[in-house]
Amino acid sequence: MPPFQEKSLFETWPALRYVIYAIIALILSVLHVVFLSLISVGSITPDLLLVLCVWIAITEGQFIGLFAGFGCGLLFDVVSADVLGTNALAKTLAAFVAGYFFKEKLADKTIGSYRFIVAVFFCSMVHNLSYFFFYVRPTDITFAGFFLKYGIASTFYTCVAAVFPMLIKAQKLSRH
Amino acid sequence: MYRIIEFIVRFKEYVSLSAVVVICFSLMTFGNVAQLGGFRAVVVGGIGWLQSAFSWIPNPVALKSENSALRELNLQLTDERAKIRQALIENDKLRKMLEFKKQTTFPIVTADIVGKTTTEVRNFATLNKGELDGIKEGMTVMTDAGIVGLIIASSKNYSLVRLLINRDSRVAAKVQRSRIDGILVWEGDQTLLMKNIPKSYDVKVGDDVITSEYSNRFPTNIPIGKVTEVRDEANSLFRKILVQPSVNFTSLEQVFVVKMLPNPERVALEKEIEERWKSRNIQQR
Repeated sequence: MPPFQEKSLFETWPALRYVIYAIIALILSVLHVVFLSLISVGSITPDLLLVLCVWIAITEGQFIGLFAGFGCGLLFDVVSADVLGTNALAKTLAAFVAGYFFKEKLADKTIGSYRFIVAVFFCSMVHNLSYFFFYVRPTDITFAGFFLKYGIASTFYTCVAAVFPMLIKAQKLSRH
Repeated sequence: MYRIIEFIVRFKEYVSLSAVVVICFSLMTFGNVAQLGGFRAVVVGGIGWLQSAFSWIPNPVALKSENSALRELNLQLTDERAKIRQALIENDKLRKMLEFKKQTTFPIVTADIVGKTTTEVRNFATLNKGELDGIKEGMTVMTDAGIVGLIIASSKNYSLVRLLINRDSRVAAKVQRSRIDGILVWEGDQTLLMKNIPKSYDVKVGDDVITSEYSNRFPTNIPIGKVTEVRDEANSLFRKILVQPSVNFTSLEQVFVVKMLPNPERVALEKEIEERWKSRNIQQR
């Protein structure tokens, strides 16, 4: 880097982006609980935190991604008053799967393309499989029927929600 | 030791995943501790405040669903309310009838009206009880309000009642207050007429009219109706007494049949005399 070129804030404080991730996670979890019911379709809502976890895993790698998943899931468990650990486990596994889509220096291209939607789709399926498995366990509800109805619908809706960050990224890339 | 650290560093993702999964299972098993409950309460309170602050934002999907559910509930409630009203009215009626049944000394049978006419010149009603219930021709039919009519025919399970509002009905009646006797006939609509009452006799509007002891067909002292008009006729020594029946024939649903038959000897004697007079009248013509 030329000696007199100014450094960006992220280059000065590399940990700053983790702080930003945390703030975005907090905002998204509150948004999810307070506002997302307005765009629900038959009680199905998109999982915005999962989209964030996949984004982080693709950008930062599998190791950082799985901790991001754990953190986002735990945060959502607290905010939504769900059983502590269920969302944490589901998002950890989803972010770990998303880590396999990580390619060094190609994160922006991955996020700005259809590969991001594919990643969100697979991660959402893993997430919902894990989450609904523990969700229906203490009840008499059959897992297969419940997952087919709610898990798959939620997966598709989350993929639709993931289209927006993908398009924003794609637009930024096309400008550069 | 070095090898362990090298292993952990080399497979840090999988080691971290295992550790995090164990932590998650631990949280799921032991996560609901009291301290966390307090923190959760604060978070839930904050979320609740936010939700209430933005509750003014309409949710069209939820509103539509709620609207549909409320409409269905409204329909069900309207139907239930109508049924409850009907049940209240019926309950009230049946209570009165039960009270009457307890008080009366006559042996009675309750019956429902399954068919009737109240707009013809000769009006009848069909009851859902018959000979199998001990009902016979000549028995009186009444309600707690008063006289309804007379059984004129019966089969095993049904009976036919000649209503008071029938051209052929004749009831020996008495004005309860002044003890004046007369014969009540039907004059049309919902009015009965007591004929041939001398003008000097004391009859007033509002007087109760009951069955007379001279009647062989009907039990004594059963209400028939109230005097609604006392009409003095010109060029006549008699007055017409109009009586409103105490029974509402248009809303009649349940009745009592008094299991009491007229004295057969008396009936036979009166019939014989009536036939003699008829034949004498024919001969004179």
